[in-house]
Amino acid sequence: MMESIRHSYHLVDPSPWPISGSLGALATTVGGVMYMHPFQGGATLLSLGLIFLLYTMFVWWRDVLRESTLEGHHTKAVQLGPRYGSILFIVSEVMFLFAFFWASSHSSLAPTVDIGGIWPPKGIGVLDPREIPFLNTPILPSSGAAVTWAHHAILAGKEKRAVYALVATVSLALVFTGFQGMEYYQAPSTISDSIYGSTFFLATGFHGFHVIIGTLFLIICCIRQYLGHLTKEHHVGFEAAAWYWHFVDVVRLFPFVSIYWWGGL
Amino acid sequence: MSTMRSGLRSACALLRRPVDGTAGKPLALNKRRFASSAHDDEYETAKWEKITYLGIATCTILSIYHLSSGHEHPPEPPAYPYLHIRNKEFPWGPDGLFEVKKHDH
Repeated sequence: MMESIRHSYHLVDPSPWPISGSLGALATTVGGVMYMHPFQGGATLLSLGLIFLLYTMFVWWRDVLRESTLEGHHTKAVQLGPRYGSILFIVSEVMFLFAFFWASSHSSLAPTVDIGGIWPPKGIGVLDPREIPFLNTPILPSSGAAVTWAHHAILAGKEKRAVYALVATVSLALVFTGFQGMEYYQAPSTISDSIYGSTFFLATGFHGFHVIIGTLFLIICCIRQYLGHLTKEHHVGFEAAAWYWHFVDVVRLFPFVSIYWWGGL
Repeated sequence: MSTMRSGLRSACALLRRPVDGTAGKPLALNKRRFASSAHDDEYETAKWEKITYLGIATCTILSIYHLSSGHEHPPEPPAYPYLHIRNKEFPWGPDGLFEVKKHDH
């Protein structure tokens, strides 16, 4: 029956994962709200929802990998879909983070009298931007250089070098997250300390969360490269991870300059 | 920027394609459509490997310098009403995350 296919599009099979993902998301949001307000069983529902969601992500992406890598359904025409999807997703992420930088600039450019009319607010202990923030800033672009190295190694057909390059990328990412954790642990203020704490931890925290997502994405690419899933001609998953990673490392420069440096001195 | 440019380029390529009956053919234009460079990949691999090592060396030196030099702790601020805001208890208890546990409760 393969002979009868006379087009280059992938007509997907029926799948249970959209509905299971939706149910997982519903349980997660309802459970999350119940957990944050004094309802019984909130933590249980939230955990169940998250487990359901993570399970759906695993099996759905497992199916996609089987369809693309083993069954060869991802023709050039099909590959355009995830490419445009990834670009639109990253654009939406830029807008998401833009809102947090907007909030930070809005609060810091004309500080209200309630916080002493100054920025950082009176009495707030801020991190020295010349310490961990300055150290962490070159780690992400270095990791970005390593992912470019991996990309060219894949294109040149150097399979082992590509694995090493991805190990370097992921290691730098983990070092960044480690330092960020240390910084949060040592930080003299918390998210409940005025508008400074709110904007600081929301912006840097969501950036850190995106670093963790990108790291997981790159770990999957590293495993797939090791298993020989990615070829010179076909490595859309890797390209999406690399675009996402460049987005994350470029975005880091904004909180460093505007929140840590300008907003912290 | 280059991502955007190549994205636009491929969008234009899509528009230029004749609509009648060519959908079934593999797209000849597809090769490296979203690529950021068209250089020799052997050369580029070696170049970016060197740049990565340079980056790792810089970060290692910075880390050693930072971790070996101590840091100061700012003095405890007066209890301004906008600091340490507690409207209700957290789900896990009275203390915030990443907070030094020093209060009596």
